[in-house]
Amino acid sequence: MIHFDNLTKRYSGGYEALKGINLNVNAGELAFLTGHSGAGKSTLLKLLMLLERPSSGTLLINGKNINRLANSKIPAYRRQLGVVFQDHQLLMDRSVFDNVALPLQVAGQSRKEIGRRVRAALDGVGLLLKERHSPAMLSGGEQQRVGIARAVVHKPRILLADEPTGNLDPGLSAEIMALFRRFQDVGVTVLIASHDIDLINQMNCRIIRLEQGMVADDGGTHGSVF
Amino acid sequence: MAQSSSAKVRRGAVAPKIGLFGLIRAAFEHHSHTFQDSLKRLAKDPLQTLMTASVIAIALSLPATLFLVVDNARQFENNFESFSQITAYVDNSANQKQIATIKTQLQAIPEVAAVMYISPEQGLQEFTENSGFGSALKYLESNPLPPVFIIEPIADVALEANQVQPLLAKISQIAEVEDTQIDMLWLQRLRSLTQIGQQIVFALGFVLGLGVLVIIGNSIRLTIHGRREEIIVVKLVGGTDAYVRRPFLYSGMLMGLIGAMGAALIIVIGFWWLSGSVAQLSELYNSQFRLHSLGVQGCLALIAVGASLGLSGSWLAVTRHLKDIKPR
Repeated sequence: MIHFDNLTKRYSGGYEALKGINLNVNAGELAFLTGHSGAGKSTLLKLLMLLERPSSGTLLINGKNINRLANSKIPAYRRQLGVVFQDHQLLMDRSVFDNVALPLQVAGQSRKEIGRRVRAALDGVGLLLKERHSPAMLSGGEQQRVGIARAVVHKPRILLADEPTGNLDPGLSAEIMALFRRFQDVGVTVLIASHDIDLINQMNCRIIRLEQGMVADDGGTHGSVF
Repeated sequence: MAQSSSAKVRRGAVAPKIGLFGLIRAAFEHHSHTFQDSLKRLAKDPLQTLMTASVIAIALSLPATLFLVVDNARQFENNFESFSQITAYVDNSANQKQIATIKTQLQAIPEVAAVMYISPEQGLQEFTENSGFGSALKYLESNPLPPVFIIEPIADVALEANQVQPLLAKISQIAEVEDTQIDMLWLQRLRSLTQIGQQIVFALGFVLGLGVLVIIGNSIRLTIHGRREEIIVVKLVGGTDAYVRRPFLYSGMLMGLIGAMGAALIIVIGFWWLSGSVAQLSELYNSQFRLHSLGVQGCLALIAVGASLGLSGSWLAVTRHLKDIKPR
């Protein structure tokens, strides 16, 4: 599903964030991306979201080379992804419902379809009763669950998460991880960047460890404490 | 297991079959939602909206008013086209018999449609009534006014300067006619004035139109800045540039629309206020001329101009400032 082939990202200042990454994540797989801050996790996710373009190498998504994807095709590409952000990127001036509805509105879905899918997504994260609330009224864990509902409401095939538990206590973090596991169970490819090594170890999943822009360790289900 | 559920998900990831009708309906829903949202946002900050709208209203009402003034002047000219009269002044010493002869001579000229005689006494009386110098005129020892013929040329001759000249010459040939005057020069002056006025309308309209573009562009720039976070999120979840642009275009268009409505209101009220005194004035001149205001069509045209200026202004601002916001 996700295939990196000798991928390098050099920023305009000359800094090499990723150096020849070779990586393959299969459809329906749940993998963790870990490493120190500055190891290249964020850059890797940015490349996947086409927020940045690779300097060299090939990036295949579902067999398609997205290196040379025209700028005008980026929105359509992003609609295939679901992304969960560390700072959840919710809009505080609109309701939980409207926040979750955004990816569907953007895709031009009808109001009826939006209502149906948003409620299904909110039900999935256990926040159906709070659809009229403002995100500002919710707790940190609830806000992150709204962010997850927004990431999956359009049923993406790939779910990316950047430090989704960064600001949460261990109990809430485990809940969030359980949610990700459920999406994997229905066939979504999930890639989570996290440095919460204790939590990752509990998940018993594939762990990809980056170090200074290179893959230092891939495949283990238990990461070392670095 | 993973394979089969993956297939299930794939079905869900593709938009369900909704057909052309459904697509159109969804697009309509989206547009009306965006439109309402833009309206709500304008209503949320009424002071800002009101201020921007009034600046636009003033900027639009200036050239529109001038346009109307020029348009009225042209209507006024046309009013006079039918009777560009020639006034023939007769020697003061002419007696009744001579006057009668002159009248027959004048009527004999083929280009003359009608002749009206105003005796010095009649002239003095009219002047006394209309000028307001009545009491002062009583002190005059004798009537200074000459006998006058008002000659109305036939329609073909009226206003054609090269045809009027031979007619004037014919009239002047009559022995007792001292002087002829044609009330056309001022009309020609008015005509060239209205032409200049028209050019000023275009220039002013152009400059103030640019001004409106800048005002709306700036206001949209501020809105874009205020909604930066939202734009980023929308782009992250796959919103196209057109989607991001749309609410700003609606806001700009609405702002132009509201401003133009204000301008139309200013003009309609102003002209209504003036029309009474103009009617009075034109009555004094025995004229049928009435002040023309904007009218329904004019109002609609002005509003259309305002809305399109708003749309273009916001388009310029959005294209320029969206580029600065990452992600692309």
